[in-house]
Amino acid sequence: MSSRSRSSRQGSSRISDDQIVDLVSKLRSLLPEIRNGRRSDKVSASKVLQETCNYIRNLHQEVDDLSERLSQLLQTIDPDSAEASIIRSLIM
Amino acid sequence: MMHNPSKVRQKIMKKWIMGLRSCSSSHENLSLSERRWIIKLSADLALASVRNGSRRWSRAIIEEASRNPDNKGLIQRMLGSGCDYRSPCLIPREGRSDGNGAGHVTKSMWVATSSKKIVKRCRRARRSNGRAPRRNEAASIAKRLVKKRTQLLKDFVPGGQDMDDVSLIEETLDYIVWLRAQVDVMRALAHSLPATTSI
Repeated sequence: MSSRSRSSRQGSSRISDDQIVDLVSKLRSLLPEIRNGRRSDKVSASKVLQETCNYIRNLHQEVDDLSERLSQLLQTIDPDSAEASIIRSLIM
Repeated sequence: MMHNPSKVRQKIMKKWIMGLRSCSSSHENLSLSERRWIIKLSADLALASVRNGSRRWSRAIIEEASRNPDNKGLIQRMLGSGCDYRSPCLIPREGRSDGNGAGHVTKSMWVATSSKKIVKRCRRARRSNGRAPRRNEAASIAKRLVKKRTQLLKDFVPGGQDMDDVSLIEETLDYIVWLRAQVDVMRALAHSLPATTSI
């Protein structure tokens, strides 16, 4: 009985492990900081997840900082201002 | 992953500027923080709108923004009142499979079950002679770490709390690429504007 339940458990975790490993390797390729493989895939999976959180956090922070900076640069959000022509040239 | 990054950036920039412009007539004298709010919100909405609701994170951005009644006007102007970005995927969290197929792994299957049973297996292994207890312990520690970090990741991806682990990572892969595009667009604008402005 225990062997049957163990194999069914292993069945479901085998599917999830493969999927997770595959997706985590894709994540790893997006994060330039992580190149080297670690001892085991699972250990590197947690490291990749941690780096991913840090990376997204940094991107969010950059969005905030840029919003702050732009709020000072754009005195008015005015279609006729000098900034608008710069913006238009960016879009075209 | 992204077929034409520069075209995507152009789309985001256009949508974003459109959002900014839609605010210029209604608010004459904005405070710095109000301006910052509009700049950030319209950039986030531009990203979500360009992604076109095909990803949960993009729908979640719009959902979360819609909860604040002050944002309704901008959301309508940028996304149109005809669009309904709500979807069955945003049902309150259950952690269950939505019937995507037999092989679909849900959070409850992978994380909770395996970590509980791995701990049980470790305890049993310590008593028995046949297994290498240290290897099992390392595996269980690693799995617990992955579980912990996966939980953390949910806070960083919009709509992450409602996703199972596999969807979460897929959404994360997509989100990172598109979020980077948003940052590139914002940076491009910030760098192209003169340091001092004349009104």
